[in-house]
Amino acid sequence: MSPTQQQPPASLTVLVGWLVPGAGYLLHGQKARGLTVAITIVVLFVMGLWIGGMMVVQAPPSANPLQIIGQRPWFMGQVLIGPLCFVPIVVAPWIGALPGHARVHDLGTLYTAVAGMLNLLVIIDSSFRVRGPRESR
Amino acid sequence: MMPLCWPLALFEKPAPVWHDSVWPLLLLPLCLGISIVYKSIKCSSMKRVAREALVLCAIIIVVMLLVAGGLAVLVKLLEMR
Repeated sequence: MSPTQQQPPASLTVLVGWLVPGAGYLLHGQKARGLTVAITIVVLFVMGLWIGGMMVVQAPPSANPLQIIGQRPWFMGQVLIGPLCFVPIVVAPWIGALPGHARVHDLGTLYTAVAGMLNLLVIIDSSFRVRGPRESR
Repeated sequence: MMPLCWPLALFEKPAPVWHDSVWPLLLLPLCLGISIVYKSIKCSSMKRVAREALVLCAIIIVVMLLVAGGLAVLVKLLEMR
């Protein structure tokens, strides 16, 4: 995006970046960066679902943040990937998904939560780019 | 229960990766993914991302191996005491 063009507001960049990983960069015209992070984050999330099964993402018992942290702490990371996080929650009971145990469950949870937390980094970075291009290293 | 199409069947149950010779290898794609996203954020030019992500991934793996080796030696030493 050229400097003369109107930059989208940071709040819109954050919202779009949460809805679709990497879309915050696409808003700023950075297609290669947006597609690279989008593909990487989604692949990590899907790999987590493949390794641990769909049951690695489980809905918290309530919307109370304290209960989420206490009972499903990894969900805080997983939900950062956006609405994609809710797909396994909806589909798992429908297909009768089996829960994983031990390392397999842990690895699947790790993949999905890391994917969400990477998306948080991407959201923060893309929203800060509203202020202008960063200095070259 | 309705029959599943194959993409959904992949996610129906956990993958058979619990053997000790398999599951540590699953940390490699995770390291690569973290490296790619981190370098996509840090690098001003996307042309440099591939090379720098591979270097970062290699560094993460080497450091993890060194830490694992160090901890293994520590455990052996503690067992000998």
